[in-house]
Amino acid sequence: MELQKARHVQYFQRCYTTVLPSVYTSMDSNRLLLGYFTLAGLELLSSPSSASASANEGSAPTSPQSLVPAADRQRLGDWVLAQQHRNGGFCGSPGHVQPDTVRRGWNEAVSYPAVNDTENVSLPGTYFALLTLGLLANEDADSVGTAFRGVNRIGTLRWIKRLQRPDGSFGEVVNADGSISGGRDMRYCYMAATIRWVLRGNEVGKELDINVDGMVQHIRKSQAYDGGFAESHMGESQAGYAYCAVAALSLLDLTAADADNPNRYLQAGIPNTAAMVRWLVSRQIVYTESDESDSDEEKEEEEDGKDDTPAVPTSEMATLNVTGTVLGGFNGRPNKVADTCYAWWVAGALHVLSDALPEAASLDKVSGREFLLQKTQNAYGGFGKDAGSPPDLFHSYLGLAALATMAGDETEKGLGQFDVRLCLGKEAASRVDRARQFWAPASESDTTDA
Amino acid sequence: MPPKNNKGGAKAKELSEAKQENDNSRPQTVFERAQAAYDLTRPPYDKEREELGGLHALSTVEKTAYANWFCTGSDELSCLSKKAQKELWKQVNETNRPLRRGQIDQPKPDQWGKDKLGRNIGDYTVPQYEQRIEKQAQLTGLKALGRSFASKRLYASKGLVDSSTGERYILTEEDIQAERERRKEMAALKKDLYGEKMGSYSTDPEWDDIVPIPQMEPEGALAAIAYPEDYAESMSYLRAVMAANEYSPRCLKLTEHIISMNPAHYTVWLYRFANIQHLDIPLLDEIEWLNGVALDFLKNYQIWHHRQLLVEHYYPTISGSPDEVKRFAKSERAFVMEMFAEDAKNYHVWSYRQFLTRKLGMWENEEHGELDSIEGMIDEDVRNNSAWSHRFFLVFSNPRYATPESHATEPDAGVPADVVDREVAYAQAKIQLAPQNQSPWNYLRGVLVKGGRELGSVKGFVEQYVQNLGEAEKEEVHSSHALEQLADIYEEAGDKEKADLCWKRLGEKWDRIRFGYWEWKRRSMKTAAASS
Repeated sequence: MELQKARHVQYFQRCYTTVLPSVYTSMDSNRLLLGYFTLAGLELLSSPSSASASANEGSAPTSPQSLVPAADRQRLGDWVLAQQHRNGGFCGSPGHVQPDTVRRGWNEAVSYPAVNDTENVSLPGTYFALLTLGLLANEDADSVGTAFRGVNRIGTLRWIKRLQRPDGSFGEVVNADGSISGGRDMRYCYMAATIRWVLRGNEVGKELDINVDGMVQHIRKSQAYDGGFAESHMGESQAGYAYCAVAALSLLDLTAADADNPNRYLQAGIPNTAAMVRWLVSRQIVYTESDESDSDEEKEEEEDGKDDTPAVPTSEMATLNVTGTVLGGFNGRPNKVADTCYAWWVAGALHVLSDALPEAASLDKVSGREFLLQKTQNAYGGFGKDAGSPPDLFHSYLGLAALATMAGDETEKGLGQFDVRLCLGKEAASRVDRARQFWAPASESDTTDA
Repeated sequence: MPPKNNKGGAKAKELSEAKQENDNSRPQTVFERAQAAYDLTRPPYDKEREELGGLHALSTVEKTAYANWFCTGSDELSCLSKKAQKELWKQVNETNRPLRRGQIDQPKPDQWGKDKLGRNIGDYTVPQYEQRIEKQAQLTGLKALGRSFASKRLYASKGLVDSSTGERYILTEEDIQAERERRKEMAALKKDLYGEKMGSYSTDPEWDDIVPIPQMEPEGALAAIAYPEDYAESMSYLRAVMAANEYSPRCLKLTEHIISMNPAHYTVWLYRFANIQHLDIPLLDEIEWLNGVALDFLKNYQIWHHRQLLVEHYYPTISGSPDEVKRFAKSERAFVMEMFAEDAKNYHVWSYRQFLTRKLGMWENEEHGELDSIEGMIDEDVRNNSAWSHRFFLVFSNPRYATPESHATEPDAGVPADVVDREVAYAQAKIQLAPQNQSPWNYLRGVLVKGGRELGSVKGFVEQYVQNLGEAEKEEVHSSHALEQLADIYEEAGDKEKADLCWKRLGEKWDRIRFGYWEWKRRSMKTAAASS
């Protein structure tokens, strides 16, 4: 089975050009996330490196036209910036933006703006906004150099710092009274670490920077007894949190630029690396359907009727020693069913973790790829959560991310190369990185200019 | 006067012809009726001239009549001398043709405008048109009543006195209800007549004082969503009341409405909580309300954050009474179990359950402790990894003996040996039920680490699942997890050859999908041996 590239292009273009159906209303507070997945998907399907693989088809290896039209980029960037809060940070959606006419005004009694709606600023919103701005830059130096123009860097860093709890964890929003709302969720650590890296928070002085050691200690405490990572201390391990934990640590290492030990935080934040590798590779399961054959749908239905859960992987011994081609799905927790996005979270986590290991343990990428392409790739483009589910933006993008990650340097035909740490196509990630120069100390940017 | 619009005239002719075929010249449409009325106000030769397309088609007598008619109707008449006027009238008399003239302008077919569907209202049938006029009149009447309602409300708010009765203006609940009904009627009429939509908030007099803040967004924005009917309007009212820091029952209702459409709206929950506090809503009532929402939106996180906030605030009010704490713990557990009936592995709910255990002290040794409940869940589904994980938390975070903040992956000297023994035995008993179930195997490993015991301490137990390893036909493995653990036991004991054999057989036969991993284990051990 192959990646149905043309269908996926259609799927993401549909999301790009048309109004999303009303079932997405429950995601209305995270439209920056939806926008990011749409653009990042188009980008990955049309980046320069996505063409090199198809060159051996006989067609001339031309650099493809980006599916995010150059003419739209300025407008989309303005749309993102319109969601920035005047005090720094971004709201998750246009629906959370209070107009400046409302925010203006001063409350004499408390010497504070009359409307202090800081709770509209969200950590995921800020994370997706910054990456989207970098992604939207064109390749030329001018465009990359000004991608973050208009971003309130210091305000955002100050806000991120206020978002950190004394135990090192991060919340999702800061309330007007300074209290923090949101769970102790490992995703927030990852987002905070990314934002800090993008804004070069390590270069603004200790009083503005987050407490890095506190964050590392918080992550460290979140490794579970089975080797996986939980949302926080003593929780149940879950593959998404594993990725967020290692990627956060790895981003901290990136800013630390410690030549003696480039993996200082990755090592400090994971008490038992071997157990984590073991837990991650254990997430791959042999996908079974009760003797189903794809072409025989009637039979499948009949069997569905008999058994409520035909697609539940039976972890019995019989499935483990099957020979021949198997479908290797990934679950997010032990004894759960395979799900598209966990192929990404597991492969991504293992990929980042391998930076800290002398030699990477590998997943069964062949069967993992086959599972995605045969079972969750939708005939009309996009990926569903599991076999037979309709596609959605989240699983469609992470399905591509999983394939790109598992393919590594060899690249999945039709997909670009992938920056696993940022979960973004390599070229786009590189633009984000170069756009960070906007905030580089003067001396450094002088040398790059020369 | 010659027709201003020849086209209109031609059309009128067509219409009148069509009409004659149907009905004996009774006008059917609004335009026809107007045209017929107009015709009654002019002489027939003018109509004829128009229909035939010009003066040239008229007979000589009619031409003269037309000229007379034209002249007598114009202002120029007074410019003529008395004599000339007399001459003119004489001629009129001789021609003996009617001279009638009305004050009606010639109707134009599009002068009534279009309806909401783009239909020309001039083409309406007369009864249809009359219906429309009636609705418009209704709307006007309703608007007038609405204005008097607004005045009364204003006077009442200022405490004014009605001079005709000498009493103060009072706005009653009936008045408001009547206005509400009126607005509904008006909304229906507006929609019917003009296709205008009025949301449920703009039609509610209770919200008249709020100026909604619409969502500002340019055309062609990213990830636009086809919102359900009321969503955009309710959001614009939410922004307005949040900006005004209003806390009131109507705001509470507004939050409920928005939550029903977008439960992941992160600020509406915080705002709802602020309302609860300002209005002094009993927390248990709110928890009760939340139960229904949680069952409607199983995957939502914000609901559980909200519940946690409620418990944080409720607990101090009952913490003095152990009985009440117990009762509350039980009712919360009952609801959590209701959630698990829908999805026994719901991460948010398990996370909340941990919070609850800590907050209410529901540890294993307490009367209202969690241990029985969790054993029940494991009995129900021995593969429920969430239940196993919760048990681990319950046993190894118990403040009675556990070292505070002890990591899940490190030994804790505080845990009594009999607790470790008990948990080892528990895990082993469950492994026996289903040897190829990784949850209790992982649990067993975790317990041994916590207890500071070697993996080898359960070697005998593990070995029952692996027989004659490496002996071709005689080899029997009943659990790949046992084989893996055996490898680790051998490695721990320094028996590298045997460990290597376990991994080799895992990759070759017993767990092929992880072939790469088992090979990596083998290589890693050799590399470690070479470097040490």
